[in-house]
Parts: sequence; structure tokens; C-alpha cells
Amino acid sequence: MSKKVLLETRDLSVAFGDKLALDRVNIALAENEVVGIVGETGAGKSLLARSLIGLLPPGAERTNGDVWSDGRALSTMSPAELRNLRGGVVSLIGTNAKALLDPVQPVGEQVATVLRSHRRLSHRAARQAAVKLFRQVGITDPESRATAYPHQLSGGMAQRIVIAMALVAGPKVVLADDATLGLDATIQVQVLDLLVERCRTEGLGTLIITHDLGIVSQYCDRVAIMKGGQIVEQNDVSAFLAGPQTSYGQELLKAAKVRPTLIKGDGDGDGETLPKVGDGTRTGPKSSPLLQIRDMVKHFRGRDGGVVKAVDEISIEIGRGETLALVGESGSGKTTAGQCIVRLLDINCGEIVFDGKEIGNLPASEFRAMRKRIQMVFQEPYVALNPRWRVEDLISEPLSLDETVRSAADRRSRVLEMLEAVRLPKTLAKVFPHELTAGEQKRVGMARALATRPDFVVFDEPTTALDIRVRAQIIDLIRTLQREMGLSALFITHDLNSVRSLAHRVAVMRYGKIVETGDTSTIFERPGHDYTRMLLDAELPIERVAEKDLMGAI
Amino acid sequence: MGFSMTISDTWHRLPRPVRIVLARLPLLVPQMLGVIFVTFILVRLLPGDPVLLMLGNMATEESIATLREQLGLDGSIWSQFLVYFQNLIQGDLGVSMFTSNPVIKDLLERAPATLELITYAMILTLLIAVPTAIYATVRPKSIVDRASRVYGLAAGSLPDFWVALLLIFIFFTTFGIAVAPFGRIDPMLSAPEFVTGFYTLDALLAGDLQAFLSAGSRLLLPVITLAIVNSGALMKMTSSAFGEIWHSDFIQHQRASGVPERKIIRAALRNSLPPLITLTGFLFGFLLGAAVLVETIFSWGGLGQYAVMAVINSDYPALQGFVLVAAAFILIVYLIVDVLYEIVDPRIEV
Repeated sequence: MSKKVLLETRDLSVAFGDKLALDRVNIALAENEVVGIVGETGAGKSLLARSLIGLLPPGAERTNGDVWSDGRALSTMSPAELRNLRGGVVSLIGTNAKALLDPVQPVGEQVATVLRSHRRLSHRAARQAAVKLFRQVGITDPESRATAYPHQLSGGMAQRIVIAMALVAGPKVVLADDATLGLDATIQVQVLDLLVERCRTEGLGTLIITHDLGIVSQYCDRVAIMKGGQIVEQNDVSAFLAGPQTSYGQELLKAAKVRPTLIKGDGDGDGETLPKVGDGTRTGPKSSPLLQIRDMVKHFRGRDGGVVKAVDEISIEIGRGETLALVGESGSGKTTAGQCIVRLLDINCGEIVFDGKEIGNLPASEFRAMRKRIQMVFQEPYVALNPRWRVEDLISEPLSLDETVRSAADRRSRVLEMLEAVRLPKTLAKVFPHELTAGEQKRVGMARALATRPDFVVFDEPTTALDIRVRAQIIDLIRTLQREMGLSALFITHDLNSVRSLAHRVAVMRYGKIVETGDTSTIFERPGHDYTRMLLDAELPIERVAEKDLMGAI
Repeated sequence: MGFSMTISDTWHRLPRPVRIVLARLPLLVPQMLGVIFVTFILVRLLPGDPVLLMLGNMATEESIATLREQLGLDGSIWSQFLVYFQNLIQGDLGVSMFTSNPVIKDLLERAPATLELITYAMILTLLIAVPTAIYATVRPKSIVDRASRVYGLAAGSLPDFWVALLLIFIFFTTFGIAVAPFGRIDPMLSAPEFVTGFYTLDALLAGDLQAFLSAGSRLLLPVITLAIVNSGALMKMTSSAFGEIWHSDFIQHQRASGVPERKIIRAALRNSLPPLITLTGFLFGFLLGAAVLVETIFSWGGLGQYAVMAVINSDYPALQGFVLVAAAFILIVYLIVDVLYEIVDPRIEV
């Protein structure tokens, strides 16, 4: 069954000056085929995507080979032909849909503009076509949505608009470059389902660029592994999952499968399980819980003057040395809850009792003394780190809260100790945040939070937007820290995979309320609430497909 | 409850621009009242007794008392303000001590002169600055890009009177192409009948082609002077605002979607409008007083010159009138800026 090849690269090399960024890449995409390209940050995936539409970033130059579309090399095309190719034959869907849409144009107009750039159509007809396509990509009430501006849409909705934009001119190939990065798992599944289904019904060639092997195993026919600008391995997905040919492929697959055994009650098997915790849910005779939250409420004033109940009477307990995972989708109020606990936001009512002391309604000046013991690791480390400070200054800043560390020598030794704790080399003490990788930034963010040796830490989405291997490393690190420092932690995330190996207990949050709380094993094995089940189903585990294939083989 | 719902419903059914104007317009009243009050207070704060100043050294006790009474200066500060305010509403700004004309008459003659000058100057400034900045951003390292950088550097450091004198020297003295730098219209022609106060518009309305050409040619050099001096700043601002948008993700994405360059430029320009509107408004207000040197060189008889004369001659009613007109002008310019700003950015809630 030889399918028609729609787009291919032959020995394509692209360089930034002397630095080779794509090295003799050969990849072909046939009709009705879904190919996944997997690699870590800096592997050249996005550059490849841009090469495929002949739109290299400034400074990049094609040094060898070419991209071929329908028997023609892109380098021989005129600017007008290239413009027709982009969006008309090969369209690109990028990351962070909201940033890809013009903020001052209604989205319907934008999609119509793309259509009119490729077809001679009246304004009216183009708009109608856009609205029709909106309906097909699962946008409810497409007529009125078409008049909305990007800021009025949710991330998932904006991503659908961008998909409509990519499909509207009837291309033959769709490139999805990390198209669902940063979306909630449930939304990610919906968006990918939709995209792949549309592409399959229309027989398009689809290239899914991602660092998530779960996505590849779920949606792709073939997979190509990229590293350092080269395609190191290319195979059918089932063959790859059964046994990667290269050691790098094996490493990636292993890291993606990292989901260490569930933490089961007390000392079950795995020698690396978390320290035991007194059952925090009942009033243990020995120790009261470290943190008790009762009926905490946080309201925000909405745009229309109404009240948004971001956190709506939640109650949580966290025992000493215990990690509680707060899981929910964006907009569920989980980050707001975390910020209330560390008093970055003032609560409207309820109480927060920390180590027997009520802190939720304490004046800010009195709470300052408690900050040393309660810290937070922020979601986006690069945004949370002052770009003009060196790593050592960043880590030692919170030490001003700690009277026991006063002298410069003490501070210095604490900084080095923290760098070691988060497994960073001492040499990094002198560098600035922008010189660090995303994983290193996360580690600095953690070192900063841990510098005052707090009793309780809130981790806000510590593993989002990281490469698979880095994510596995960060999870490892947090587990080590729990063991070494005896931390109690609130772990805010939508990444259920990471929760499985980290948390003693899980609380599932939705619309500002906690819908289910329980031991991690219980939640994963016998979820009680429909919403929890939905979250679990939204995961794209690799095993599922492997099992499916196995079943098929039998 | 039901009533307030209806109001809110009706409000939201209005077109967005109408809502913006309706929400912003009422603010003008307290702002204007504030300006009136401040000018009144400021003049009271000036050292010296205006009555003594007006009557001079030879004044007798009785004449001082009489004039005080005439001017309403014998009452409390509040009653004085009330009198001042009532006069103001009737269009009475007092009589200029220097020109002996009612201040309102002087202002009505001079304000349009300056407004006409700076309006054309602003239009030319925009026409030079915005396209150049856009071209320089879209075609980096082109000749236009390089030239605009040099110009942006130089224009900020050129004094306007020097540019004016240079232009007069070249185009009037040396080549004799330009008309003489004396006033708004050829003295042999009579000014067109007052409608808007803009000679060019009034001449057109009156169908007087000769007056129109004369007024237009008189405008040429001073307008070019102001545009040369001010377009540097606007060009830099446009470059930075447009440049930032030009390199943003959504512009890249439009290019990746095959949208023609022309439409992409339009979308980018549309997105960089807010800072441009703000700066244009600011420059417009700034030019009202800042054009005074150019006005003087071209014997324009404008508002700036009037204000300088008023200061030099301690002509308080004239000065007070100028401050009021200038403040009102700036308030209106900023009102327009605010309204336009909200109209071009749909993310602002009204």
C-alpha cells in the first residue's frame, strides 16, 4: 500500500551561522498518515516545522538538501508560491493559541482572512465558511463565537479557532507544533481527538510535534525521534513502543513510563517509598495535623460586577511529613487556594491553622514571622526569578527572614547547601536565570523556597512544560527532598502522572470545591467521583496502546 | 431591581463606541470646572494688587475703592469666584490691558491661527513618521531604515527656530520659491469670512481660490518646520511599538497561514495604534505652546505669541484667558485620545 507522499525533506540541513541546527533530516509524510516527532527542547523540532513551510527564523539558513512538496523543491518557489503553500497546502498549528491570534480582531474575521488569502471569495462567503468550520471543530454557538475577541475565549476554545484557521483553506498537510502544550489534560484529549479525526476524514498528512510520548502512542502511525538536529530513529509506533532501536529512544520511553509504584499505605514493597505518615485524616493521638484549613473562601469580583467564587468553602488537612496533591483543571481554583495558604491572597472567610496557630486572619505584619516556615515554589520559575540577580542572590534573599543565618559566610554556606540539595553544581551560583535551562530554573525556584528550611511548602505545578526526562528528574528530586528534609507539602497540579508517585493523599478540586479526597491508591484505583474518573481517562498513558496492540496480536 | 436591569440591558445593547463616548464625556464637566477654579486661584495668588497695577501710582483712595467694587474684588473669595464664573459663562473674559480688546475677541482671532498651524503640522508629522517607521521595520537594514535612524537621532536635537530660519534662508532668500514669512495670508488679500477660523477652510467655503492658495503657501514653511522637528519622536515611538508587534507570535502565525504581507502590516499597525494615539495627543497639546518660536519667526499672530506678550506686559486677563483656552484644548484632545484608545483596543471593558 504505497500512499502518495505529500511532503518530505531530503537531507535537509539548516544552520545558524556555523552552528548546525538540523543535520541531514529525512522525513516523509504521506496522505492519511499521522507522524509524530518527539524530542526534547532544543532538538530542532520547531525549526523543522518552520523549514517545512519555508519560513526559517532570522539568522537560520538552509545549507543542504531541501523540502519537497508535490514534486517541487521549496527553494525553487517564488515568494508568491510560498505564500500559497503556507496555509494553502501546508498549515501550521503552534503552541499557545491565544498568542497566535490577533488580539484586536474578532476571531471569525481572522479565520475568514486566512481563507480569503487563498481563495477568491466574497467577505460574506468567507465568513460563512469560517462559521461552518467552527461548528465542525466543536465550537458551540459558532455564530456568536465568531464575533468574539481572543481574550474572551478559553485556551481550549482558542486552540480550536487556530485549528479551524489551519484547516479553513483546505491544506493537504497539517503540522501541529506542540499544539496542546499547556492545555488541561481533558481539553488536550478533546483537541487532539478532534484534530486527528478531521485530518483522517479528509485524508490529510498530519505531523504531530511533541515531547509527550503518550500523545504519540495514542494518535500516531509512525514516530521519529529527534536529538541534536538529527532524526536518530524512525519507526512504526507499535514497533517503537515494543522496543526502541537506539539507546536514546529507550531512555525517552523509560522516562515517559516513569510512574513509580503507587504509594500504598505503609512500606509496601518499593524501598524508595515516602516516609510513613500518621494517618492524617483521623485525629491521631500522637500529633495533630500540621495544617488544617476549614471552610476557606476566596471571592473575586467578576467583570460584570458579579462574584466569582474561586475557592468555595474548602477544608483540607495535611499531616506532618505528608504530601497532599491538589488536582484540578485550570480555573478550578487550585492555585488560588495555594496562594491563600501562603497568604499571597487574603481569604474572605474560614480559617487556616498552622501548627496549632490560626494564620489565615493574621495581620500581614504578624504573618511575616511565619513566612520562614511556609514557602511556595512558583509555577513559572523564569517569571518568578528576578532576571537581574545571580542565582546565589536569588537563593539567599529569603534568608533575611531567618535570624539564625546572619553572617555572609553563613549565607554563602546555606546557598551552597541548597544548591547541593536540589542537585545543581556550585558553579551555577554566579549565573543569571536566563543562562539556566527550564529544569535548572525550576530547581533554583525550589532551592529558594527551601532556603529557610520551611516545614511546609506549596509546589505550584512543578512539572508543567518540562521535557519528559527533566520532568522525571524533578519528580525524583522532590521525592528525595521529602525524605531528606521531612517536608510537608501541598502539591498543586493537573498532571496526574506525577501525583501518583509523590503524594500520600489526593484532593480533587473543581469549580472552587473539593469533590473528592482520599489516599492516592484509592483515588487511582477506585475513583469515587465522575469528575475524577474523567481526569483519569484524560491521561494518555503509553501502556494503554501497547496493551491494545497486544490484544490485537492475540 | 427590574428597572436597573433594564438600564444595564439597554446600556449593553448600545454600540461599543457610543458607550465609550457616553461614559467618558460627563467627566469633562468636573475637569473643566477644576481648570476654571485653578486659573482663578492662580491669578489671585500672583503677587501685587491688580487694582494698583491697573491704576498705577497716581491712584487715589476713592478710585481704588471704586475699581475694587467694579471688579468685584471687595467681596469674599467665593463671591469673587461666582462673579468671575458668571462672566465666564457669558463669554466675558475681561479686557486685555495691552490690546484694549475684550480678551475673548483676541482669543477667537488668535486661537484658530495656532490651531490651523499645528493641525496641519500634526498631520504632516504623522504622514512622515508612521510610514517611514513601518517601512524601516518591515525592511530592516534598508536605506530607509538607516536614514530613519540618523534622522531620529538628529531631529530630537534640532531647535525649531533654527530649522525655521534655515528653511526661510534656503527657500525664500536664496531660491525665492517660498512666500515671505509674514503672517497667515498675503496682506493684499482680505482674510476669508470667519466660519471655522482656519483660513484654508474658510477660503474654500467662500470659494475664494486666491485666498486659499495664499493661505496654503503661507502655511507651508512653518508646517514643514514643525513636522521636521517633531516627527523624529513620533517615528521612534512608532518604530518601537510597531517593531514589538511585528515580531510577535500572532504576526508570525499570520505569515505561516499565508496571509499576504500587506494585510499583515495592516494588522500589525492596527495593534500598535494605542501608544501612537497617546503620543499624538500629547504632541498636539504640547505644540499649542511650543510653537511660539515658529509663530514669532513667521509673524503668525498666534496664541503662543499672545501668551508671551501677556506675560511680558503683566496682562492678567489675557493670560487668564490663554490658560483657560489652552487647558480646554488639552482637555478635549485628551478626551479624544481616551475615546480613540478605548475604541481601538477591544480588551478594555466599558
